[in-house]
Amino acid sequence: MHADVDVIVVGGGHAGTEAALAAARTGARTLLLTQNIETLGQMSCNPAIGGIGKSHLVREVDALGGAMALAADQAGIHFRILNSRKGPAVRATRAQADRQLYKAAIRHMLENQAGLSIFQQAVEDLIIEGDEIRGVVTHMGLEIRAKSVVLTVGTFLGGIVHVGMDSHPGGRMGDAPSNALADRLREMQFAVDRLKTGTPPRIDGSTIDYEDLESQPGDEPRPVMSYLSGPEDHPEQVSCHITHTNERTHEIIRAGLDRSPLYAGVIEGVGPRYCPSIEDKVVRFADKSSHQIFIEPEGLQTNEIYPNGISTSLPYDVQVELVRSIKGFENAHITRPGYAIEYDFFEPRELCPSLETKHVKGLFFAGQINGTTGYEEAAAQGLIAGLNAARRVQGKDFWAPKRNEAYIGVLIDDLITLGTREPYRMFTSRAEYRLTLRQDNADRRLTEMGRELGLVDDRRWRRYSEKCEQIESLEGELSQRFVLPGDNDIEVMLGQALSRENTLIDLLKRPEVNITDLVGVVSIAFTDTEVLEQVEIDCKYEGYIARQTEEIARIKAHQEMPLPQSLDYTEVKGLSNEVVQKLDQVRPATLGQASRISGVTPAAISLLMIFLKKTKKGSLQKTA
Amino acid sequence: MSSDGPSYSQDTIAAVATAPGRGGVGIVRVSGPGISTIARSVIGHLPKPRYASLVRFLGDDGTALDQGLALYFKGPDSFTGEDVLELQGHGGPVVLDMLLKRIVGLGARIAEPGEFSKRAFLNDKLDLTQAEAIADLISSGTAQAARSAMRSLEGRFSDLIAELLATVIEVRVFVEAAIDFPDEEVDYLGDDRVEKQLSDIRRRLKDVISEANLGALLSEGASVVLLGKPNAGKSSLMNRLTGRETSIVTHIPGTTRDIVGDIFQLDGIPLRLIDTAGIRRTGDAIETEGVRRAVAASEQADLVIAVVDASLDKPQQKLDLEELEAASGAGMVIVSNKIDLAGAGAYEGIAVSAKTGEGMEALKTNLKKHLGVDGSTESGFTARTRHVNALEQALAAVDKGHGELTRNGAGELLAEELRFCQRHLEEITGEFSADDLLGEIFSTFCIGK
Repeated sequence: MHADVDVIVVGGGHAGTEAALAAARTGARTLLLTQNIETLGQMSCNPAIGGIGKSHLVREVDALGGAMALAADQAGIHFRILNSRKGPAVRATRAQADRQLYKAAIRHMLENQAGLSIFQQAVEDLIIEGDEIRGVVTHMGLEIRAKSVVLTVGTFLGGIVHVGMDSHPGGRMGDAPSNALADRLREMQFAVDRLKTGTPPRIDGSTIDYEDLESQPGDEPRPVMSYLSGPEDHPEQVSCHITHTNERTHEIIRAGLDRSPLYAGVIEGVGPRYCPSIEDKVVRFADKSSHQIFIEPEGLQTNEIYPNGISTSLPYDVQVELVRSIKGFENAHITRPGYAIEYDFFEPRELCPSLETKHVKGLFFAGQINGTTGYEEAAAQGLIAGLNAARRVQGKDFWAPKRNEAYIGVLIDDLITLGTREPYRMFTSRAEYRLTLRQDNADRRLTEMGRELGLVDDRRWRRYSEKCEQIESLEGELSQRFVLPGDNDIEVMLGQALSRENTLIDLLKRPEVNITDLVGVVSIAFTDTEVLEQVEIDCKYEGYIARQTEEIARIKAHQEMPLPQSLDYTEVKGLSNEVVQKLDQVRPATLGQASRISGVTPAAISLLMIFLKKTKKGSLQKTA
Repeated sequence: MSSDGPSYSQDTIAAVATAPGRGGVGIVRVSGPGISTIARSVIGHLPKPRYASLVRFLGDDGTALDQGLALYFKGPDSFTGEDVLELQGHGGPVVLDMLLKRIVGLGARIAEPGEFSKRAFLNDKLDLTQAEAIADLISSGTAQAARSAMRSLEGRFSDLIAELLATVIEVRVFVEAAIDFPDEEVDYLGDDRVEKQLSDIRRRLKDVISEANLGALLSEGASVVLLGKPNAGKSSLMNRLTGRETSIVTHIPGTTRDIVGDIFQLDGIPLRLIDTAGIRRTGDAIETEGVRRAVAASEQADLVIAVVDASLDKPQQKLDLEELEAASGAGMVIVSNKIDLAGAGAYEGIAVSAKTGEGMEALKTNLKKHLGVDGSTESGFTARTRHVNALEQALAAVDKGHGELTRNGAGELLAEELRFCQRHLEEITGEFSADDLLGEIFSTFCIGK
């Protein structure tokens, strides 16, 4: 027997670690179960954290007290700002991470989190009584009881690894799948489907000729991931390199297609449209004579590199040939063959916004099990699932951000409302409030809530409060100080004469004026670049943000009106059969969620409102 | 018990509250939180609640559009429970249209079918027993509006909007790809392709708006299709209704081989009456095509008048009627024609004689009832106003986005405006989701690592 706990988290990947940390931070007695302690915080795919849409998620997890951004700063060996020349709303940060350092950072945080214990045990069964979870059974036959269980089993459920026409069961190359648990879940009422993803062959960097390859150094000044980090937290920095496939590479791939499990019909899972295998790219974009490959270092202590862009499940001999056809890789030695992996995921429309399953109370799902891909997407879900698993035990209402509050909200709402047919990853174009949801203001959007939820510690809270005070004080100063026509320094900066009196904030609204120059000219002593950045962005986006804020306020009442889970949609007068079917499948939690189901029209929403009001009035009259 | 708060809605809606056509008085009703701004701009002040005052309705340049009565009801003591303003002008579709546009320009939006009643119900102004009626109003009104929109979207206008939307989506594919996939090798915002397409979209939007404003593209009025077996007297009925000799009337079955249309006023309501070929199986290629077109026309119609020959025996009338019901694509009013003939007897429907004019008044009353021209449902007129408004908003968004790109190089703001532009066009055509857009990006570019 193992002592009872409040929350059990199954899986120690990016979802599992955030779930366990979040649950423990709110005071729940938490147990993290993993097949192998050595793989806690493992990056199974490429060694990078962040990117467009994704660093937004990482920052949000960070603003809520999560681990990913801090670990990325401690392990990051190359940092870049993407979209630096486009507006701040779409800027993103990407870090290449040293795998070993990343794992060490995550493990350190897990081991030192109060209220959290780690136990190496594979889970083979769930204990369910009635429609409620009671705990898990491990492969040793240990029964561990808990009030909430979070499953974050990644690609391990029914995982099959493919290299060419050979395939074998596996959760990741070198790790066993969780088939007993997969079978158990398949017996239950969850709707299950298959997805696939892949990785490229890894290469020994000492066999690469970098001489003629384009080098891409990190950015200076060096960006950071976490609101709490500085560049001094980073280890030694290295460059990435870029090379390309060529016509000969494509010929080799075409010649090997008959032995590709993708094209021979062996793989039934659906792969992502945005992360195609190299064989997919060559077939679908036949007129393109070359594809880009990023050579990403795996770490400071290893020569191994990750050639991002040639994910493949072609047989090993074809992999060797195609790799060696690429410039710089002529004598490359493959250290690990590329492979595709197929795995089970569960219909995410069967989840509540808290990420609790609708079928089993107290059972939460997070990460790839819900059909997503990406470390960042997994971490975001893990945090929310872990938090709500703990809140359930504590008898508190669940919390999840809304679409207008966070990319995490967009992610969860998309999953539970629209479901997914391919591994879901975040893009900024998925967010209708993109100008409000920026990576630079995730703390201003979420840290106060995080504090209230018990996720944010004193150190983060202090840093955040100071920053807010400074923003307020700088904004106050800029809107109160006037400059007059004839002010020489200002007119030199503008390159033209002032026609009338202006506040400094008015000047800042002009597209050509930047805040660093402005505070320099008027001798305001503010050095915190984060503060300057916030004030500038607030000012430049003012009109747009006001419009989005107005729109959010306008639809708020509808958005948040709850829909009873037991509602019989066939009783709502005037709804078409198609709409009834769709509502019945998703069983949305709110009217807002209902309105986002494709095919549910504004008129259908009006009919629902009338019905809800009528039901409420009716029950009022009865009780009166 | 908890309360739902004072109001469910934060926006202001407006609509013409009287039947379309040349009535004596036309009323524009406005409801929501924006009333005081609108009143101050259109009539110069917020009138004293519940007093009628004679005022001039001002356009945005300060000139008078019309003169009439203004009535202000302060919420919650109003029909909807919100602040309500009613402007009663001298009618006339053009004046009402201008007044409505002016109000929309001040931040209101055109009400959805049944929306005033919906708000009244949600704000406890109507009792429980009326819930069903409002639900009916919304669903039938929406079906009617969809039909009106479709009809106003016939042919060239529909093609133009669809092409415009396709171009907007194409630009968005490039703009969004540039934002979400900056590692790719080409910066699409940097080349002048996007700018050229933006100029092209602006030009085309302007053209469509000016044409739509001239009424050249959008048909006005409800459309009514005459459907019947050959020689049931459809053409005679049409001539009797319009008072003109539009259709060729002969006693040879199958004379009307194509579709013949005419516009006439039914007590001031413009109607497009469409005569069709008789429904029957035939070997004649031209006539078969005519029958196909008749069925197609009925599918786009607001209403079908099913004409049955009352001089036939009743079992035959029943068979004919069943055949028409199967062919018709819209709601039907059944008319039994030729009751002037000896031995004639109507099996079902309104008994008329196109020849003598007997029963025509009953038919007209019935038509008005079925067309819902009591102001409760959406007319083609409102559909047109809605469309023009959507197009103008789409143009404003493209203008602004174009400016953000060229003046400030702000691709993310261009993206924002293009999203709005697309949303306005979709008010006319229907939805294209964020995931559809990503799908377009992935099929256009080889993206991903």
